[in-house]
Amino acid sequence: MLLQVLVSGFVIGCVYGLIALGYSLIYKASGMMNFAQGDVLTLGAFLGYTFYTLFGLPYYVALALTVLVAFVFGLFMEKFIIRKLISKNVMAIYVVLATIAVSYILQNTIQAIWSTKMLNYPQVFPVASVSIFGVSVQSQSIFCILVSFLCMAGLQVFMKYTRFGTAMRASAMNAKAAQACGINTSLSTGITWAIAAGMAALAGILLGPIYGVFIMLGSTIGRKGFAGAIMGGYGNLYGAILGGVLLGLIETLTASYLSSTYKDMIAYALLLIFLFVKPTGIFNERAITE
Amino acid sequence: MKSVVKGFKPSKLAIAAVLLLLPALFSAIGFSYGVLVSCFASLYIIAVSGLDIDFGYCGQISMGHAAFFAIGAYGSVMLHKYLQLPILATMLIASVLATIIGAVIAYPASKLVFHFLSLATIAFGEIVYTLLLNSPGGVTGNAVGLFTDSINLFGFKINTYSRFYYFGLVCVGIFLLAKHLMVNSRVGRAWLAIRENSYAANGMGINVTKYKVMAFAVSAFYTGFAGAMYAHLVRYIGPDTFTQKQSVMFVTMMLFGGTGSILGPFTGAVLVLMITESLRAFEQYQMLIYGFLLLMVVVALPGGIYGETKRLIGRIAAKRKGGKAHAS
Amino acid sequence: MLLEINNLCLSFGGLKATNDVTMHMEEGKINGIIGPNGAGKTTFFNLISGVYKPDSGNILFDGKRIDGLKPFEINQAGIARTYQVINLFKKMSVLDNVMVGMHPRLTSKFFASLVHTKAEREEEARAREKAYEWLDFVGLKDYALEQAGALSYGQQRLLEIVRGLASDPKLILLDEPAAGMNSKEKEELNLLLRKILQKGVTLLIVEHDMKLMMNVSDKIFVLNYGKKLAEGTPQEIQANPEVIAAYLGGDD
Repeated sequence: MLLQVLVSGFVIGCVYGLIALGYSLIYKASGMMNFAQGDVLTLGAFLGYTFYTLFGLPYYVALALTVLVAFVFGLFMEKFIIRKLISKNVMAIYVVLATIAVSYILQNTIQAIWSTKMLNYPQVFPVASVSIFGVSVQSQSIFCILVSFLCMAGLQVFMKYTRFGTAMRASAMNAKAAQACGINTSLSTGITWAIAAGMAALAGILLGPIYGVFIMLGSTIGRKGFAGAIMGGYGNLYGAILGGVLLGLIETLTASYLSSTYKDMIAYALLLIFLFVKPTGIFNERAITE
Repeated sequence: MKSVVKGFKPSKLAIAAVLLLLPALFSAIGFSYGVLVSCFASLYIIAVSGLDIDFGYCGQISMGHAAFFAIGAYGSVMLHKYLQLPILATMLIASVLATIIGAVIAYPASKLVFHFLSLATIAFGEIVYTLLLNSPGGVTGNAVGLFTDSINLFGFKINTYSRFYYFGLVCVGIFLLAKHLMVNSRVGRAWLAIRENSYAANGMGINVTKYKVMAFAVSAFYTGFAGAMYAHLVRYIGPDTFTQKQSVMFVTMMLFGGTGSILGPFTGAVLVLMITESLRAFEQYQMLIYGFLLLMVVVALPGGIYGETKRLIGRIAAKRKGGKAHAS
Repeated sequence: MLLEINNLCLSFGGLKATNDVTMHMEEGKINGIIGPNGAGKTTFFNLISGVYKPDSGNILFDGKRIDGLKPFEINQAGIARTYQVINLFKKMSVLDNVMVGMHPRLTSKFFASLVHTKAEREEEARAREKAYEWLDFVGLKDYALEQAGALSYGQQRLLEIVRGLASDPKLILLDEPAAGMNSKEKEELNLLLRKILQKGVTLLIVEHDMKLMMNVSDKIFVLNYGKKLAEGTPQEIQANPEVIAAYLGGDD
């Protein structure tokens, strides 16, 4: 029983982690908050479903395609909306509102294309569940956890060891200096948003087979994902992963053993507690108080 | 008060006449639905004016104001239902409750900068929503919600939309007057100073935390009262009205009209309400169009409609002044 | 002694920004602080005005300890300051900037402001009059209703000073008031500083312009690497070999 709860906690924790990573990446790179991440997750779930069921593509191909589409979406969103707003020198609240607007548009578009019914993935893996320590665990859950960690690890490698990743980190730290070194900062920012979107979509297509696919799938996850990012230290990539996984575990454990009615409140309560008491998060990421 | 009476021009008389005769005008053109929309407009104007005090004047964003809307609504309904208190009293008590809760939240929140303040307010909004949906003992009616009565003003029942309209009109008058008085005072200047440069404001002897909490608490009172108005207009409340979307709508209305003024939130509330009402026909694509509109406002009209209009008029007037100087 | 600073220390990480500084300043004088770049002058001001809390030592103003108090409390106690970078409320009018400066001396609280009681209206009217007087004091009266951000740089600096004066302080800290001014403006500043002194406000000025400082100060303190290097009259300072060695050859 405990193992199953832990696995569920890990699964949703990895999803939170991917979302939180996106938030911290975007914040680190452009100092903005993106409220559309949750709906990109939903989009990923639906797209993956379509590629897998309607187009009959193999799961891995569907996965790759979904992430690619989201990647391009992220690029476009940054280039045509965010950058336009920044160049107009508007208040930060407007950028936030713009991302909320995008999330509404996404939600409605998904609804228009796919309808409001709940869709269910047909079984992805030949073996539905495996037995670990005598407990039955869904293969999809294991896959989700594995791929999430691979993705996060891959991102770390990319950021630390590739030229492009270093360029992104430089642009995030000091855009002017980076430009002076010949780095294309606007491309870097665009790629950052694109990667964040890609991860959100990945989370969606990983989660879809477990939770089912429906329009509001990503909204609450997207909002709660902020708690994961804050807990780890907003802007800290390791923190985002740790925070997300912690959030998933705490949420699932509390719901199973204490009370499941207030399950949704846990993430928000944690968010408030951290914001009020330890805003720099676990990894003590630079002060965000005035 | 003097400043209000001084500007008694014919155009203002005309506007006052229209406002006073609105229900009659609507029924004359056979559009009695317009009276209900006007009732909604009155309470949204108050709610958004409150948010504007917090953001437009003091610079603190709140993406969770639906929580206060809910506290006002549910507070009033539950006080009336469980304690049998008269409704106008419950409305005021619920608003005070919203104010107190607002002040409590505002104190730690005052230390957060913009992005994180927005997250905190969102979290607060979500927590209130969850509590509405899963209240201990089901006092809020949970998902089913609660039914309630219309306002009873010492025997005079406000149970038609026309009657509510005039009630709403009086409330708007009182709340906007109060806002006007507050912002044109020492307190209002302190708020503006904090919005402009809270670091310097601190150095000018302004207790920044105290004034931030004050602004937040006042805005909670406004939005709370508006929530109570909503409850006794519709006479039914359910958790679905008090979601994040409602908070976003408040912010949209405020930005659409223009922040930091008396008429900005007024304009924004009325216009956005009219737009969403006319979109009702496109039920399915409502969110889509709303999202695009929001994007449009954000990209094209950062000063809000009222704010941009004022600026435009100001520029035209300045050009005229410059022209005159040239002529002489 | 109006302002007593005793053994003040502040470190940032390993760097001793303020290193065991002791300064005593009399009332009714123009005191100056000079020192090479990076000597810790603005840090010192930040310590006095409450932006930073010292690691050790104390600051006594009019006999009462003010170290560790919040900036607004220190302002209410009677110390005003201007900043190196202009920190005006740019979108507010010039007049409103001054009226904000008066904040700690006005008494209307929330409910009085809400209903505009007779007392509140009278206080506001008096405050408005006083604000105009302050603007007249620095020659900005005609700009009262303009946006503060629309003024020229020199005018904005004057506005910052008068905004500080509006709270009727006993002591005003001026952080590089002459920065960016031309020689005519500096002459006018010189006169203004003396006028301020005549109004009964003690001044403590941080400046780089040597000529101005030597000309206007009654007493000068020299900071170098966070330590007090010397103190004395302008003549004494100019003759002090250590000060000359530290930097007096280069500025202005």
